[in-house]
Amino acid sequence: MFKFFSSSNIYPLIQKLIKFINSIFFLILTIGLTFALILSPPDYLQGEAVRIMYVHVPSAWIGLASFSVITLLSILNFIFKIKNFYFISKSIAPIGLLFTCLAIVTGSLWGQPTWGTWWAWDARLTSMFALMFFYIFYILTFKFLNGEELIIKVSSIIAIIGSINLPIIKYSVEWWTTLHQPASIKITGSNSIHLEMMFPLMVMLLVFLLYAALIFLMKYKTEIIRIKKKNIKRS
Amino acid sequence: MISNFITMNGYGLYVWLSFGVVFISCAVVYFKTKKTLRKYEKEFLKELQALTLEEKNKALENSKVAQHILATSFKAN
Repeated sequence: MFKFFSSSNIYPLIQKLIKFINSIFFLILTIGLTFALILSPPDYLQGEAVRIMYVHVPSAWIGLASFSVITLLSILNFIFKIKNFYFISKSIAPIGLLFTCLAIVTGSLWGQPTWGTWWAWDARLTSMFALMFFYIFYILTFKFLNGEELIIKVSSIIAIIGSINLPIIKYSVEWWTTLHQPASIKITGSNSIHLEMMFPLMVMLLVFLLYAALIFLMKYKTEIIRIKKKNIKRS
Repeated sequence: MISNFITMNGYGLYVWLSFGVVFISCAVVYFKTKKTLRKYEKEFLKELQALTLEEKNKALENSKVAQHILATSFKAN
């Protein structure tokens, strides 16, 4: 089954996927922006500032999801020793870092008009800040360590330790009294967000996911070429 | 109406700055990633073309990636 994940099998699919995403991306982006900036209603408490949610929430979700995937792949790599998982994780990490930073910056821009402060060391904000550092340490292992085995070991350890932070981020708003509001959207249970705001949020999430997929595919393609280049030199 | 859209009832600075930061950052990362990919593709193609015919055939036999890159370069040319 794992043979399917070999770079040679995946490579031809990558170009097709990149083309497909490119063909639909701007249409979905236009729909998302139209709803997020024009058609969705202002919030009864926050007014127009609520529109920041449409970039802040998807960024935070993708930042968290990327680290979860990296952790899962690191664990699988420890068990099954599939190097391809390491290349996938390496390609996902910069995307996760980008979206975590964007969640922090847009959160700060949302905090000023609603809380009256750019930043507070509350549990949710601090744990997101910690996640950003786990991403930075994870990426730095590729830049500053030598030897693939050592890099895989150290980066996997960072990912597994960093994963402890993920439930802290998720439940921080329930465990502690924070400035950050509790989750409005729950996988189980009822959502406290109106459909008129939920729809643009989901479209913007799709836009961000497509963008993340596009960057991942390009980075992964670069990784595959880098390996093949090395192999050509060896043979 | 347009001025309302721009000022967002006093929240314009925060809203536009948020969207601006997100889209500029994403655009920078996109173009940087694309540039790096193109660079690696070009370098790989150059190395493939520098091989002798025998080496090239061997590389093409063993690597679907090499086949794909060579095929796309022919299409592009």
